[in-house]
Amino acid sequence: MDFTTAELQAYLDESLPVEKMAAVEETLRRDPSLLSALETINGRRDAGVHSLGEIWRRNRLTCPTRQQLGSYLLNILSDDQAGYIRFHLDTIGCRYCQANLTDLKSQQAPPAIAQRRKKYLQSSAGYLKSRR
Amino acid sequence: MSSDTVLIDRIQTGELEAWEELIARFEGRLLAFVESRLGRRSAGEDVVQETFIGFLTSLPNYDRSRPLESYLFSIAAHKLTDHLRREGRRPALPLSTGQSSLDQIDLPGKDRPASSILRSGERRQIEASALAEALAEQIDRWKQREEWEKIKCAELLFVAGWQNKRAAEALGISEQTVANQKFEFLERLRNSLRKQRLSEDLFPELYENN
Repeated sequence: MDFTTAELQAYLDESLPVEKMAAVEETLRRDPSLLSALETINGRRDAGVHSLGEIWRRNRLTCPTRQQLGSYLLNILSDDQAGYIRFHLDTIGCRYCQANLTDLKSQQAPPAIAQRRKKYLQSSAGYLKSRR
Repeated sequence: MSSDTVLIDRIQTGELEAWEELIARFEGRLLAFVESRLGRRSAGEDVVQETFIGFLTSLPNYDRSRPLESYLFSIAAHKLTDHLRREGRRPALPLSTGQSSLDQIDLPGKDRPASSILRSGERRQIEASALAEALAEQIDRWKQREEWEKIKCAELLFVAGWQNKRAAEALGISEQTVANQKFEFLERLRNSLRKQRLSEDLFPELYENN
């Protein structure tokens, strides 16, 4: 399977769509040239060469807001706006926006969420400044 | 002051309720992000837990100009990568190539060695910000005019890295239209960066994709 340079950059940043992340990892096990391609990308980064895609992705320049994603779920956006969000989620496969959408969809299951939040709070509160 | 900034101020004073609020606000999306990759709830919850602890320990260095959600996602991505490496799913790559590998870097269209453009992290951040601003300006212009096709086209070409032909097929437009939109987009970016006197060597894509 061939990967574009932009896809390999996204792989290094853990932001490529999940299926493609798995495909890169599967290819890496049998094709050493892919490892070399990833090292070259790292080398270009070290050398200070900027990539449009990386900067676009890292700054999330076209990610809809969470509020817009909520409106998308409620079907209250214009056809064009909804069409763009669908494209961003499905064709580009933005992992951050997909995660937000999944979270918004799962808001109807409060007991499990409350339990999780309690666990996170208890395990991390000791790191708060005044409690050390 | 944004609600995130206020929340962080409260967290920095050690206010437990504020920390509880941050967890409530962000844990669902972080868990969805991590779980989609791991496929297992319990491992996903562990990674999110490490993310929150990582956030608190890195808080003194947090750059407040950076959106909180993006910062949390970037910590989660690092913790997820660590987790996958420990599981053997993700091969370890050198974090930094070092000088010997730098010698092998082929900067497109240039004969000079890459090391000649090595410079400070601060300088690189300024360059990246300049490009991000130029991109954001262009994208905002398209949004205001509701030129969604142009946004999709640029995103396919530069974020997904697709060739013109594939992007044209996906969007149902001609390859020539894609080429024209690409040229117009790159020309605007080049003009914007020229005004800021930034070297073209640092942004090879802007000059090699015509």
